[in-house]
Amino acid sequence: MSYFFQLVASGIVVGSIYALSGLGFVLIYKSSRVLNIAHGQFIALGAFITYALTVGLHIPIYISFLLSLIITFLIAMSVERIFLRRLIGEPIISVIMVTIGLMSILDGLIYLTPFGTENFSFPEFLPKTPIALGGVSISWTQFVGVIITVILIAGFSWFFKKSTIGISMRAVSDDQLASMSIGISIPRVFGLAWAAAGFSAAAAGGIIANITGLNFDTLVSFGIIVFPVVILGGLDSIFGAVVAGIILGLIQQFAAGYLDGLWGLFGTADLLPWFILLIILLIKPHGLFGVHEIERV
Amino acid sequence: MSQNRWLATGNFFTSHKQEQRIFFTHLDRLIFICFLVLAFAWPLFFKLGNKNMLVIDNILVAIIAIYGLNLLTGYTGLISIGHAAFVGVGAYTLATFSRILGDSHVLLTHAWPLMILLAGGVGAVIGAFVGLPALRLKHLYLVIATLSFQMIFQWVINFSKFFNQGQTIAIGRVFWFAGKVTRSQHYLFWYYVALIFVVLFGFGVRNLLRTRYGRCLVAVRDNDRAADAMGMHPGFTKVYAFALSGFLAGVAGALHAYLWRGVGFESFTLHHSINYLAMAIVGGLGSLMGSFFGPTAIFMLDVQVEHLSEFAKTLFPSALDLATALRPLSFGLVIVLFLMFEPRGIANWWRILRSYLKLWPFRY
Repeated sequence: MSYFFQLVASGIVVGSIYALSGLGFVLIYKSSRVLNIAHGQFIALGAFITYALTVGLHIPIYISFLLSLIITFLIAMSVERIFLRRLIGEPIISVIMVTIGLMSILDGLIYLTPFGTENFSFPEFLPKTPIALGGVSISWTQFVGVIITVILIAGFSWFFKKSTIGISMRAVSDDQLASMSIGISIPRVFGLAWAAAGFSAAAAGGIIANITGLNFDTLVSFGIIVFPVVILGGLDSIFGAVVAGIILGLIQQFAAGYLDGLWGLFGTADLLPWFILLIILLIKPHGLFGVHEIERV
Repeated sequence: MSQNRWLATGNFFTSHKQEQRIFFTHLDRLIFICFLVLAFAWPLFFKLGNKNMLVIDNILVAIIAIYGLNLLTGYTGLISIGHAAFVGVGAYTLATFSRILGDSHVLLTHAWPLMILLAGGVGAVIGAFVGLPALRLKHLYLVIATLSFQMIFQWVINFSKFFNQGQTIAIGRVFWFAGKVTRSQHYLFWYYVALIFVVLFGFGVRNLLRTRYGRCLVAVRDNDRAADAMGMHPGFTKVYAFALSGFLAGVAGALHAYLWRGVGFESFTLHHSINYLAMAIVGGLGSLMGSFFGPTAIFMLDVQVEHLSEFAKTLFPSALDLATALRPLSFGLVIVLFLMFEPRGIANWWRILRSYLKLWPFRY
């Protein structure tokens, strides 16, 4: 039974990271209806900036984590300004393809640095002895990661529900024309949405990198796994992203814990989210908590 | 009514049929035939090294794949980030035969045209299957469906013993009327085979787009409600577009497998899907000419990037392989810049050039 609870615990850890990654994706989709395919690259960027600041410049890790959030915030904002601002009003298809191109560009830029090919890991800064709780053990990095995730998600939910900018973002996602007519600057909202997405992606990157180490492919794969998460939760629901992230985290851990090795199957943890995605697309495309506004063909 | 069919001075169409003609003047047709003869004849006069010949063969195979992607993304308006997986389905159809029957079974070596078409058929079936969500969903969600197909394909190849866990599965040399295609003839032989397929499918696609079955794709792209009102079923049309695209991708995959004499997982990853999209965008979405320009431009860029990184290595010797960085960087830049400044791709430059030459020296 303790094996089961161990799986539940690590499932929740992984799931909360998925939730945080999915959050940034949902932010962009919610305000501008753009699928940001380059999300994984932003996650990786945040992780690498944190590492470079901590190890290269010897800044304490908490401060460098905050700095990386701010830097990625600015990078994401300028990406929106340079590449996506011109495409407002273009068909959504070409905007999505621009993010695909962006993904390739960021890939190339990261490959230019040593981070693209080599593996690094953060220096230990938390106690090494894991927290033991009735047979379940969680390492301190995972614990702190979950705490930060919970704080950030709560912060973002508050931001969206109560703050003026958050409300204007929701207004834009609801009806662009109407929100323009009451004086909301749509380009500014889009820029802020991208910046907020970069912010949350960098946070996710910093946490993932502390747990799994810095490997470019691993970090980017968190940006790809976001798709099953947000589809399951509903593309435009922050709460959905959180729930779906934890569900998928649990499913993956159970698959890795119980299914692997059965019937000669391996790597089911990587496969199951995509099957779930396809099934959800076929039977309930708006996901668990998404708005039912999908146009039927 | 007699007009000059050699040098038309304007449009004198009196019927829809006339407007749908492929060649408007005899001159167009003559130039096209000359070009075709040249494409078939030049290897008799010039001998290129294997390396260059391989690049040309790759371009031709990619052109067939891009026909498929262009039908799907350009004409029907459905983005696919899983096109490399569709190409992979074709290649792995051959690999399946090779694993069951051995890599130089008669079916693989003698009946290869049949195998290529069979691979296309399998691609079409899988394509239609992946396109099934199109019966209910619109473009944003379809993008994700193709992405998940790409991921599932990668998993299936990587984790199944049958497919050698992604390692190369060999495919034997084929036979021709004159006997086995030897090492020195290999690239030349597949150049001709690929060229014949390119020409055949080029005509096929061009003609398809003149019929109702092709024009319904464009109608669904432009406005699917209007298309629905005109009696087309948008969902089935999209599934059919996926099947067509899967067929062409499957054929390209089979040719790729024969050309490289083996099937390996690393040719069909997400990066290749993005490369295919880059080719389609650079060439020009929704234009048949674009399917020729895109792969050519991207492969030329690839060759230049490789030259550049080799040159850089002589300047600053470092452990870093510059090509791995420059390749995605340049492809991404090309995609983004074309989408921002020339969304209609190189095909648009071609159109401008043509109309310029037609009017030359009177530029009005």
